Amino acid sequence: MSMGPLPAASPSLARLVQELHKLPGIGPKSAQRLAYHLIRLPEDEALALADAITSVKRNVIFCQDCQNLTDISPCSICQEPRRNQGQICVVEDPLDVMALERTHCYDGLYHVLHGVISPLNGVTAHDLKLGDLFKRLEAGSVEELVIATNPTLEGEATSMYIRRHLEGRDIRITHLARGLPVGGSLEYSDDQTLRRAFQGRQEL
Amino acid sequence: MPPPRTYHCDALILKHIPFGESGLLVTFYTADRGKVRAVARGARRSNSKLVGHLEPLTQARLTIRRGLNLDDVEQVQAIESFGALKDDLDSITNGFYVAELVDGFGAENGANHPLYQLAIETLHAVAGESQPYLPLRCFDLQLLNVSGLKPELYRCVECRRELEPGRHRFSPALGGAMCLDCRPTDALVMPLSLQAVKVLRLLDRSSPGSIQPVRMGQNLKREVQGLLEVTLEYWLDFQIRSNSFLKDLNRESRSAVYT
Repeated sequence: MSMGPLPAASPSLARLVQELHKLPGIGPKSAQRLAYHLIRLPEDEALALADAITSVKRNVIFCQDCQNLTDISPCSICQEPRRNQGQICVVEDPLDVMALERTHCYDGLYHVLHGVISPLNGVTAHDLKLGDLFKRLEAGSVEELVIATNPTLEGEATSMYIRRHLEGRDIRITHLARGLPVGGSLEYSDDQTLRRAFQGRQEL
Repeated sequence: MPPPRTYHCDALILKHIPFGESGLLVTFYTADRGKVRAVARGARRSNSKLVGHLEPLTQARLTIRRGLNLDDVEQVQAIESFGALKDDLDSITNGFYVAELVDGFGAENGANHPLYQLAIETLHAVAGESQPYLPLRCFDLQLLNVSGLKPELYRCVECRRELEPGRHRFSPALGGAMCLDCRPTDALVMPLSLQAVKVLRLLDRSSPGSIQPVRMGQNLKREVQGLLEVTLEYWLDFQIRSNSFLKDLNRESRSAVYT
């Protein structure tokens, strides 16, 4: 969406508002508020933000192995010697790696797809880092592939696509358990969630 | 009197995209209001009461609060989750196909109850179906019918003479079959075999949930699907993406390429 000319007599301020407006979830009013906030910031704080953006754009690359965003390739996770090299956890985006790392319950490697198959939104398998995953698996050292895509329809479709591609390969393919979230309630759960919760019930 | 602030509707969830910090912008097709987009705030949180009921390809009953720009989803309860449709990649892709076409042909603020019924009936028909070709092609043709774009299959669209048994042509732009004697002015004109005319007429008389199996060769299947695909894309003015994905899947399955 293009914005009309600002009444302010400052082309640089108008440009900043326009650039901020391009960010996801930022409407024209929010863009103006953010721009005025940046103007009021001390110069060193505003320049630190500009420098962080420049640095990210110049230095952040895809890890050659896991495709996560990193400053060095291979990334620090892929280089960690204590990691289980025979396990790869497939996630949708880099934030999922951070969420799983916070749990300290997984010590294998990752592979970031940067999205999920979603034909309705114009995303097909070719738009994801799936080819890199399949090449990585050809090396033969991977024993288990843990699919940790979100339990959405698109996440499930991506998971099924990977499984179909690897049919007949000597790799154990697992996915994260499906069911009720901690703090959730049965009453408000949908049929699919309840069905999967029942299928995945465990001995006490 | 101002309209009530909330309203209830039965709808088919078509798609959603992230909205804000933890919300979803959901597109659904309602029985009595046409296509609606509304925000489900907080729906991406793992303990949200909404999210499971708002998955695409779910028939749900929603309570919507009217907003200034976008409406808000207040409550939602799944009526039919189409579990069998979501257990298999090909079925999911067929479901995506139905949702994409309903999204494309469904108008906002334009109620089309037959279109809603058609979508629900088709999802029931293809869920867990190993041979979904005929229900899907029937959906294609009936979708054109309920959208007011019914192709002419009995008379030539140019000279209006009744079609005689034999080979013909088909023009999406002119709206249906043409006899060979009439000169086509449309660049998209395609050959139309007698068998394809018969299959199209059968699809026209049937519904996705009740169409009887017919023995068809691969060439005839390709011809009928091609005619319908070109016609749908002509009216949509864009390529059907889930169709391309399904074709890719079939190609990959056949060649079993390990990239």
